[in-house]
Amino acid sequence: MAASQLLLEVLALGAAYALVALGFVLILNATGAVNFSQGDMVMAGGFGAVVLANALHVPGLVLLPLLLVGMAALGVVVAVAAYLPLRRRPPDAVFISTIAVGIILQNAANHLFGAEPMAAPPLLSAGRVRFAGIEVSIQSLAIIGVAALLIVGLQVLFVHTQFGRRLRATAQDREVAMAIGIPVDRMVVVTFAIGAALAGAAGLLLANAFFVTPTAGADYMVKAYIAVVIGGWGSIPGAVAGALLIAAFEVLYPSLPLLIPALLRMPQSDAVFSQTTSTIMLDVAVLIILVARPGGLFGEAVRQRP
Amino acid sequence: MSHGASSWPRAALVVSSGLVAALLAGLPAIAAPATPDIPVLVPVTGFLAAEGASQRNGALLALQNPPAGVQPRFAVTDTGTSPEGAVNALERALSDGDVTAVVASMLGTQMLAMLPIALEHKVPLTTMSGTADITRKGNPYVFRFFPADSVVKGAQVRYAIEADHIKAPAVIYQTTAYGQSGHAEILKALDAAGIKPVFEDALDVSVKDMQPVLAKAKAAGADSLLLQLHGGPTALFLKAAASMNVGLPIIAGSGLAQPSTVALLDPAEIKGACAETGASPVSAETPAMQGFLDRYRAAFHTDPDGFALGQYDATMMVLDAVAHGATDAAGVTKALSTESYQGLAMTYKSDGHGDMAHSAVIICYDGKSHIPAIVKHYDFPIAAP
Repeated sequence: MAASQLLLEVLALGAAYALVALGFVLILNATGAVNFSQGDMVMAGGFGAVVLANALHVPGLVLLPLLLVGMAALGVVVAVAAYLPLRRRPPDAVFISTIAVGIILQNAANHLFGAEPMAAPPLLSAGRVRFAGIEVSIQSLAIIGVAALLIVGLQVLFVHTQFGRRLRATAQDREVAMAIGIPVDRMVVVTFAIGAALAGAAGLLLANAFFVTPTAGADYMVKAYIAVVIGGWGSIPGAVAGALLIAAFEVLYPSLPLLIPALLRMPQSDAVFSQTTSTIMLDVAVLIILVARPGGLFGEAVRQRP
Repeated sequence: MSHGASSWPRAALVVSSGLVAALLAGLPAIAAPATPDIPVLVPVTGFLAAEGASQRNGALLALQNPPAGVQPRFAVTDTGTSPEGAVNALERALSDGDVTAVVASMLGTQMLAMLPIALEHKVPLTTMSGTADITRKGNPYVFRFFPADSVVKGAQVRYAIEADHIKAPAVIYQTTAYGQSGHAEILKALDAAGIKPVFEDALDVSVKDMQPVLAKAKAAGADSLLLQLHGGPTALFLKAAASMNVGLPIIAGSGLAQPSTVALLDPAEIKGACAETGASPVSAETPAMQGFLDRYRAAFHTDPDGFALGQYDATMMVLDAVAHGATDAAGVTKALSTESYQGLAMTYKSDGHGDMAHSAVIICYDGKSHIPAIVKHYDFPIAAP
């Protein structure tokens, strides 16, 4: 496999993970509490894509806007049911309530769709194309494109609009934001909606190549958490960097002997560059980052880490 | 006289009553139906929900269509995936009355937790769990109706040698207990044939991208791929292999025999791929199997897998024992321990440790449909206890 081909796979996987991590960070910043249902929101997005595809029989790219709206509505419901009633309680109360939301989503999916894996439609089409001299899957290219658009769109929303400035003000200091007349609760609800929509997009992107099951959310939740710890608790660019680093460990590390053939002749090469070892290496890297830069690669935007 | 006159009809009455009683005693009794209590305790939520649902469906199909003269009482309880969930479910079921036999979880850790309780209450457990240890504890109340790994992995390796003449296989397995147990049996079978794998890798169930492991297997000079992966990862692996056009024979574990796994792939993506399994009901190899397939589809609107058929056979063996006079747990335990039973998938007989299934099949896909063909049957001798 060519290095450029592997890098493209890293980018595609990392881009999808980045959407999960971004939704997680936005809600973290707005509420100061961890939303433990973010992984299950990804799962819900995956099943949402399956349902829409079965009903409309169109490519994933056409489904995406509908899915974003539907998932945003789910985010509003979660905010109203699991956050607003507890907003004056310690953050622990919110993360317990979001764990409950995750369990409800998981069991609802199991009841509605069964436990068997399902596949969402590809964004454009299945198959592979030759691109810049290498053969890559169309889905991987489409994932990178869609994720990049969503991330840039989010950046524009946050930096260049009045609405975004209000969201950021709410995230930075709720008390001051309230004092200057920003409707903080409404801003938090909108943040939940955006976070859920991003999770839904990630669900659509991931459920084609990697399928979706009712229990898939836990794994995405762990990845989002690790990405945010690596990048810096509450840092948006950090979340993206963390997600890419996770994808690099998952795809690049086990492939090193392919890029450097001398490693194939190393004793115990199979074991040293196995997928299991890559997970261990990722965990070691997280520990090193936490020791060397306790605030993560990009520094912490939120001080309290549950 | 009056006494004599009045005693005649009384004597006649006594004699005729005696005759009627004698006649009634001579008539065959109209037996009340046997009503065994057979709780179904399986995981229908959590990470094993798909397999647990198959197990439940197989049991239900048998319990709802029992042999004549048997009216089983049953209730389904979800054990989740924790040992505590299984223990609580079993204790609750046992507290409700005289349990005849239990359809018990296919999750090994749950089975290991339930075994001491079954021993204490002397109640037989029928299961589809593949965990080797459950029949190695000397517990006389456990009966496994799915072939142990030594059987199915033996079949997988034998087929790879016979059909594909493998000499340098790559062995890819899961890091779970299922994966490691199967991996050990694959290595044992390869070693017995004097073959050493050129590449081995253990994959966590969360691994998404299978391309690196495939590329490394190929770079190591593998001439075939032997898999021991769960259903979802098997589908990811086959998808990646097809997109990379790997061109090596793939002989997978039973994950590829599950209709839910195959449904995730295009027929072209599984062209030429084969897998081991205890049974492949969707292949409808015999009229009886076709009948089972039709009834299962009508009842559950989905296709059965080997777990559903195995648990159906297990439950039917219990009900058959009841129909033949085993009215309580002791009687059913004795029947399961000593009798043989011709099920739909195979003939079941305990090896003395509770392992009932000793046959496996190899299925292969032709690239045109999702229905595999059974290409080889392997019957293994029953090991001495």
